[in-house]
Amino acid sequence: MTGSTPNDRPRATAGGWYSLQAQEARLAWALILPTTLIVFGLVIFPAIFSIWISFSDVGLKNLNNVFRAPFVGLENYRHVVNDFAFKFQGLESWGAAVTSVVYSFSSTILTLIVGLIAALLLNRPFRARGLTRAVFLFPYVAPIVSVAFVWRWILDPRPSGVLNDVLMTLGLIELPRAYLATRGLALALVIVFQAWRYFPFAMLMILARLQAVDNTLYEAADVDGANSWQKFWYVTLPELRYVLGAIFLLRLIWTFNKFDDIFLLTSGGFGTNVLPVLTYQFSFKAFNFGKGAANAMILLLILVVFLIIYVSTVMRGTEE
Amino acid sequence: MNHTDERLNFIEHLARWINWPRFIFAVTLIFFLTGILFPFYWMASSSFKTYAEIGGRKPVYIPSALRWEAYRELFAYWNFDVNIVNSIKVAVPTALIAVILSTMGAYAVARLHFRGKDLLTNGILVVYLFPGILLIIPLFAMVSRIGASIGFEVQDNLLVLVVMYLAQTLPVALYMLANYFRTIPAEIEQAGLIDGCTRIEVIWRITLPLAIPALVSVAIYTFMIAWNEFLYALVFLNSRDLFTMPIKINTIFNDPSPRPHVVMAASTIMTIPVVTLFLALERFLEEGLAAGGVKG
Repeated sequence: MTGSTPNDRPRATAGGWYSLQAQEARLAWALILPTTLIVFGLVIFPAIFSIWISFSDVGLKNLNNVFRAPFVGLENYRHVVNDFAFKFQGLESWGAAVTSVVYSFSSTILTLIVGLIAALLLNRPFRARGLTRAVFLFPYVAPIVSVAFVWRWILDPRPSGVLNDVLMTLGLIELPRAYLATRGLALALVIVFQAWRYFPFAMLMILARLQAVDNTLYEAADVDGANSWQKFWYVTLPELRYVLGAIFLLRLIWTFNKFDDIFLLTSGGFGTNVLPVLTYQFSFKAFNFGKGAANAMILLLILVVFLIIYVSTVMRGTEE
Repeated sequence: MNHTDERLNFIEHLARWINWPRFIFAVTLIFFLTGILFPFYWMASSSFKTYAEIGGRKPVYIPSALRWEAYRELFAYWNFDVNIVNSIKVAVPTALIAVILSTMGAYAVARLHFRGKDLLTNGILVVYLFPGILLIIPLFAMVSRIGASIGFEVQDNLLVLVVMYLAQTLPVALYMLANYFRTIPAEIEQAGLIDGCTRIEVIWRITLPLAIPALVSVAIYTFMIAWNEFLYALVFLNSRDLFTMPIKINTIFNDPSPRPHVVMAASTIMTIPVVTLFLALERFLEEGLAAGGVKG
């Protein structure tokens, strides 16, 4: 965002209310002020404010008077960490913290793989490639509510569900199954849904990078007698390293923060409860806003710790 | 006789054309297209089925006829027209205001010099990191505090949603537009300044007309985000008359008697404008997508 080229326009002497420089700065501030006010007032301030809430006892009664809410120290955090919905209690019940981590990492990796395959597919010239590329973006631009519900309808537990019908016709299952209401399977399907919906984002970024790869690298590989697989492994993949790292980071943050997808697909049931959905349940089902805020702060903390590790280890290696 | 000859020729031709890479390519492409398009086909086709077709023992893959039963129920019983209007009332102002404000801000960031620019632009981008779910609790408290102090129902108000969506979309809009403004040569503007135009005139007469493609794509992105948004609308809207489409569809879905065809009809109505806009303007929207135009 920064580092724009300076205007080489002659300037009046620096400083002073009427100098060109000061006029320019005033104009700039006037232009950017509305955006700044909205973003700081509705994002930065609430973010700081939620730290306060996470240390207070806030319910429905005192919601409109949060600054007078009793200070309870780490009480909310203790409640969250000890909540059976949050903490790991063996393989049968992972708790939201572990589920969140497993869910975001697997979704992100699967999204990257599917996106990479799609990008390689569309990098070859063929007829109607432009249209195909537009169609490939559909899952990403369509409203989440529509696609989540159509998937629920495809996975419907009744025999009239498409997946049940297909698998029963093929003789793979005897009786209809409730896919999104089966522990383990539900989480796997939610992860597959993530890959289905978000691979276009990875695909677009990879495609842009693929088209910038210097062709002489492939020619050199041809001269060395490399086969297609070797060309992919030794030329394409190293060229994509940086962009793959960037997509991984962005998608991981967004998936970790994601509320809608799981809420609409399973409402957080059957081993798919993740931290954002749990925050919602604490705040707007149990109306314990302090606990909800504490849960959200833990979510943010996990994210920040991960970011620090990622940026200091993985990204350092790929920076050019 | 002639006919079999041609067939043979065709198979021969195919056999000569096909090789392993081509075969794998074709199979993968078909797999992707089916996986992507089937859910959309299923959405649209289910919306034209009758209740009997939807509730039968086997799924009906091709509806017997285009039946408008689901759509009739959607409008007559669920008053979905109100929700369509609400969504438009939220999405259109969000898009327009976002374009205006982010144009102003982006111009300042791209062209003007002022102290604190780096801090400001980086601060605005931090928004990318904050989960919506973290912000919603304090926002909810703030909204009810404001409501209590001015004695006016702030919560059930579409305007609140517009402001919230602005906060979510402005940072990316600003980022995308600032990048675009930088690609317009500064010399063009300087020529205007030398000719005696003021800064504002230069922006209005020279820069903006050149930036129309970027302005259009920012408008569409912000429109799409406001159109599709679920969480904030779910928390901030209580009365059914004010529900935007996503919340209404969620309500219909959670009705005790399952009515998938009605849900699919509503989903189809909601999906069509977005997908159409996208197909029509695909070429210049793609870049914005890769820049993170749609967060999430």
